[in-house]
Amino acid sequence: MDLNLNRADYLQVGVTSPKTMKLLPASRHRATQKVVIGDHDGVVMCFGMKKGEAVAVFKTLPGQKISRLELGGVLNTPQEKIFIAAGSEIRGFTKRGKQFLSFETNLTESIKAMHISGSDLFLSASYIYNHYCDCKDQHYYLSGDKINDVICLPVERLPRITPVLACQDRVLRVLQGSDVMYETEVPGPPTVLALYNGNGGDSGEDLLYGTSDGKLGLIQITTSKPIHKWETRNEKRRGGILCVDSFDIVGDGVKDLLVGRDDGMVEVYSFDNANEPVLRFDQMLSESITSIQGGCIGKDGYDEIVVSTYSGWVTGLTTEPIHKESGPGEELKINQEMQNKISSLRSELEHLQYKVLQEREKYQQSSQSSKAKSAVPSFSVNDKFTLSKDDASYSLILEVQTAIDNVLIQSDVPIDLLDVDKNSAVVSFSSCDSESNDNFLLATYRCQANTTRLELKIRSIEGQYGTLQAYVTPRIQPKTCQALQYLIKPLSLHQRTHFIDHDRPMNTLTLTGQFSFAEVHSWVVFCLPEVPEKPPAGECVTFYFQNTFLDTQLESTYRKGEGVFKSDNISTISILKDVLSKEATKRKINLNISYEINEVSVKHTLKLIHPKLEYQLLLAKKVQLIDALKELQVHEGNTNFLIPEYRCILEEADHLQEEYKKQPAHLERLYGMITDLFIDKFKFKGTNVKTKVPLLLEILDSYDQNALIAFFDAA
Amino acid sequence: MLLPVFTLKLRHKISPRMVAIGRYDGTHPCLAAATQAGKVFIHNPHTRSQHFSASRVFQSPLESDVSLLNINQAVSCLTAGVLNPELGYDALLVGTQTNLLAYDVYNNSDLFYREVADGANAIVLGTLGDISSPLAIIGGNCALQGFDHEGNDLFWTVTGDNVHSLALCDFDGDGKKELLVGSEDFDIRVFKEDEIVAEMTETEIITSLCPMYGSRFGYALSNGTVGVYDKTARYWRIKSKNHAMSIHAFDLNSDGVCELITGWSNGKVDARSDRTGEVIFKDNFSSAIAGVLEGDYRMDGHTQLICCAVDGEIRGYLPGTAEMRGNLMDTSVEQDLIRELSQKKQNLLLELRNYEENAKAELSSPQSEADGPRGIIPANTKLHTALSVNLGHETQAAHAELCISTSNDTIIRAVLIFAEGIFLGESHVVHPSIHNLSSSIRIPITPPKDVPVDLHLKTFVGYRSSTQFHVFELTRQLPRFSMYALTSPDPAREPLSYVNFVIAERAQRVVIWLNQNFLLPEDTNIQNAPFQVCFTSLRNGGQLYIKIKLSGEITVNTDDIDLAGDIIQSMASFFAIEDLQVEADFPVYFEELRKVLVKVDEYHSVHQKLSAEMADNSNLIRSLLVRAEDARLMRDMKTMKNRYMELYDLNKDLLNGYKIRCNNHTELLGNLKAVNQAIQRAGRLRVGKPKNQVITACRDAIRSNNINTLFRIMRVGTASS
Repeated sequence: MDLNLNRADYLQVGVTSPKTMKLLPASRHRATQKVVIGDHDGVVMCFGMKKGEAVAVFKTLPGQKISRLELGGVLNTPQEKIFIAAGSEIRGFTKRGKQFLSFETNLTESIKAMHISGSDLFLSASYIYNHYCDCKDQHYYLSGDKINDVICLPVERLPRITPVLACQDRVLRVLQGSDVMYETEVPGPPTVLALYNGNGGDSGEDLLYGTSDGKLGLIQITTSKPIHKWETRNEKRRGGILCVDSFDIVGDGVKDLLVGRDDGMVEVYSFDNANEPVLRFDQMLSESITSIQGGCIGKDGYDEIVVSTYSGWVTGLTTEPIHKESGPGEELKINQEMQNKISSLRSELEHLQYKVLQEREKYQQSSQSSKAKSAVPSFSVNDKFTLSKDDASYSLILEVQTAIDNVLIQSDVPIDLLDVDKNSAVVSFSSCDSESNDNFLLATYRCQANTTRLELKIRSIEGQYGTLQAYVTPRIQPKTCQALQYLIKPLSLHQRTHFIDHDRPMNTLTLTGQFSFAEVHSWVVFCLPEVPEKPPAGECVTFYFQNTFLDTQLESTYRKGEGVFKSDNISTISILKDVLSKEATKRKINLNISYEINEVSVKHTLKLIHPKLEYQLLLAKKVQLIDALKELQVHEGNTNFLIPEYRCILEEADHLQEEYKKQPAHLERLYGMITDLFIDKFKFKGTNVKTKVPLLLEILDSYDQNALIAFFDAA
Repeated sequence: MLLPVFTLKLRHKISPRMVAIGRYDGTHPCLAAATQAGKVFIHNPHTRSQHFSASRVFQSPLESDVSLLNINQAVSCLTAGVLNPELGYDALLVGTQTNLLAYDVYNNSDLFYREVADGANAIVLGTLGDISSPLAIIGGNCALQGFDHEGNDLFWTVTGDNVHSLALCDFDGDGKKELLVGSEDFDIRVFKEDEIVAEMTETEIITSLCPMYGSRFGYALSNGTVGVYDKTARYWRIKSKNHAMSIHAFDLNSDGVCELITGWSNGKVDARSDRTGEVIFKDNFSSAIAGVLEGDYRMDGHTQLICCAVDGEIRGYLPGTAEMRGNLMDTSVEQDLIRELSQKKQNLLLELRNYEENAKAELSSPQSEADGPRGIIPANTKLHTALSVNLGHETQAAHAELCISTSNDTIIRAVLIFAEGIFLGESHVVHPSIHNLSSSIRIPITPPKDVPVDLHLKTFVGYRSSTQFHVFELTRQLPRFSMYALTSPDPAREPLSYVNFVIAERAQRVVIWLNQNFLLPEDTNIQNAPFQVCFTSLRNGGQLYIKIKLSGEITVNTDDIDLAGDIIQSMASFFAIEDLQVEADFPVYFEELRKVLVKVDEYHSVHQKLSAEMADNSNLIRSLLVRAEDARLMRDMKTMKNRYMELYDLNKDLLNGYKIRCNNHTELLGNLKAVNQAIQRAGRLRVGKPKNQVITACRDAIRSNNINTLFRIMRVGTASS
């Protein structure tokens, strides 16, 4: 059955955080439901739709930014009490808008995530998790990395309380009381957790997670170990997942999975016979989907998917058809409703415009006086700067609540800006002035009208570090722009992992000296991405990393006065050595750096590169042949005379070209890394081999693995 | 929602912009398009049984309803249409870099095959002005040529640069078609037969032009801009990061007015309202669009919009019916309107909030450095801009300079200049390092051409520690001749070349013109006529003298003929001069031109010689081949081997000869372009009728190979002394 959903916009509130919109339970089956939503202005609004118009049930006064909104109530009764988290405070409202709870948690950080189950309240701030029962502190846990979401397996179905934390370091931490029962790694940084089917599935232990790199997974949290059931791969490279819900929108009696992503994609998955998810429907909205829920709002009897977006739109994707099948009179009525809505909006606008004009004049006048100041409040920018593993490049996503006028990108390190198909902004690269202005890249993105979200792709080079700045100017008066800064770290292509292969030949770099644990941690933070800012608890800590481009690894273990870094890639060690000694000199700390180089590791790294390089070379060669072969095909009419290899190329032509387009300059990057490896190998021996680089490039041009290894050995 | 009425997937690639629909047998519309390997394919879905079978055309091995036409050369343009009205069916015209072929598909015969030295980059078919028979007009290397159905060259003129696009449009509303020419020097020129009636300067190479209706026409540039002109006024334009491959006018929503349909390089097709540029319909293909056409491809009496993608996919759309009320996209108009209004409301609310917060901040603490990060600046902060000429020093070449400064201690974090045609991209950014921040910035600007440019400035103003900045937006115009500095006259360096003309204007008016078009220092004081001013070019140090006598006679001394032309055209438009005859002499340039003309003759003769040699060689090949085969039949292997060795050597010679011919040809093209440009330049020194006279006379002189007359015309403007 084809799923056909029509879009209907209901209302716009202020900017919203993820998971801040819920539907109140309906009084009877398939009756219309009310929507509650909390925004950054601190306003909680509850509304229902009446004859196509939003009618507010209640609306609170502005306050602190609302970061979460959940529904609760006595277990096994309708969950219709509204709880919001704002700052470090939890407030509760009845469905009529009467406040019945105000609970100041006294957490030092503001609350990021919340889960409510009966009288149990699970809260997490950036690193702290707290469990309250009847507002009394029960359990506490300090996480090693940022907590993105918290959930508790259904207590009414299981004989235990099992909270689960989704942490930025790609780990789900399953707690018991104040202790970790076990950890389990997931394929990306998890951003959202939800109970499978809304109740934890058959076992009551099934948990859905979504990651910031767009993957979905189902995991069963048993008392002893996790069981991974399935995970999706995000092959279409869609955005990160911000919200999920289970709801039977298809109408086949099985709950479907509703997913909202940060690139505006709304998806519906149903489950096949093997209980694996199958994509049934997707629709692109123009901005991040912050909350999603299935229900019925617009018209009773018609199910719909209700979503809220970053800029505060509440939108429905409804099964109600646009074109009514009933008589012509009905049609007219609907049109009338629309017309009324439009005219009321128009008059509202006129009134506002007049007011704005007055204020604008006042503002202009103030510029005459010498004492007056011009202070324009900051607008909120939703930004995300992440390393994507698939193509070892960074993606920068900027989202503003109003349309963006232009974005200026400036960088003081050499980086490449790649084209992203999705964005329609006109990019223009400016020449970087010769004076010592530290500019390696200056580019402007002039956005088309109504662009609120801009996505950029950036390719960095390991060893070159500095800052990337984005100046975002939205289309709003008085015009202001905000400067946002992103660090390009020295080992920018590394990613945290939890398991490494200990059998590889490793090079070691050891630091000793008079430095504190916090200091050495700050150096690691400076060099490597995805390390928590805060020094972890304990005296000694070990982090594992993986190079997303070459798959080489890095192990860093450090404590007060000592740091040990092990990698099978000599270039990684070389970069660390250079950066650390520079940093230490800057802070006037006496560092003893010693290293142990394993000759075998170079050969090992070359062998790691070999399949990638060979694949790329073959791909390039094949792609080069495609056009010529196609011409032959046109000329001869068939391909029977070609050798099977060429026929194969012709058959796969589209696929090959797509593959080739996906990874621009991949070969150049590999060459660059091999050259670095070559130079670094001999740098540790104290010889400068820069003069031999042209020779190396020659060998690479006619690539043969053995010749290359021989050259590395011989030189 | 408008859906395609048919979709075809041909297994041949389609070269961009080289696709046309014609009724080659008078009834059945067929699609002809250039494809790989110098071939043209003709898709004929209507008469399956009929096969063209002859030397040129053969059946495509891939598909039954496609025939292939061998051109054996890269096709550079293609069109179809009625060339001979008596024939009653359409001809196919295929242009390459050296030839133009008019082909009768039905009878499988050439209508004519003409060599065109200037190449054919663009082609358009139709009637022009008062010329009665339809012409195939091709645009090449600075030249335009029109041929009738017999291949007679009925129209010939020159234009400023290589032609990239052509269109026929009733520009002045007299019921006759004018020719629109888009060329590499960013100009759209309008030819009323061979007279230029209008010139519009754009910001990039004009890649496509299409008539809409009346005097309205659409255009597309190589930087992703598409737009609509009505006569010389631009109605609207939009810019995309993709390139417009093809544009076409078609009434898709049945409102009686054509929309501009654009096919983009990313596979998108959109239809935009001719008045506002608003998108009323869009669709996506999997590869770049090669062409957008119209035709009754299903032969049911309804004209479809037909879009062809590079990978051979073809979709046809019928115009929307009346019930759709112009609503071709799947969202409802009301929903969109509500969304738009709500967005507006939100923006106004935000603005209002900005003012409220501002008022609050004002009431709080007095100005302090702590306000920096929040971007609070004194309300009376003003931005001053000044344009001047900087003569440069050792490390930096001379340039025009834009100086921006704030009126207090606030600093300028960055300056964005959006301007077209003077930077690499559309913008230039100045972003000083954190150590060099100050309240004033000097920005060097070196416009490559003498055109007036609007500089749209966005200046980020705040404090050193700010993370939020105020954006000051303002627009300054860079005068046309900003790259010339006023210097004191040095008679020894006065250029020998000059133009001389008389205008009936007071000297003061000329001074106003000078002020508007040059960056003069503020203290410049020019007395009454007679006076003279001297400028130095910042690009090459060349001198420019402008002298005015009491009688109103103006002499402009410069060795740069283009500059002289620019000055005359600029004055003419400023003083609204309709016709201006000029006396000019550019000895150096003329001498160069003389050399070029001699070279053209040389290359022509070399070309003929090489062609003759090639013909000889091909005879030789034939005989060698016959003899070698004879030897083989006689089983005289040794002789056969020898013959084939000879043949091999001859082949090598031929290849070498080919290379020489190629080089010779490119040189010839270069020189021909120089000649065409020279005529164009001579024309630009005059205004109105004298201009056309000069161009026509020059052309005649070149045809009759009378070099001396040519130079006399260039000097005095007429052939007769």
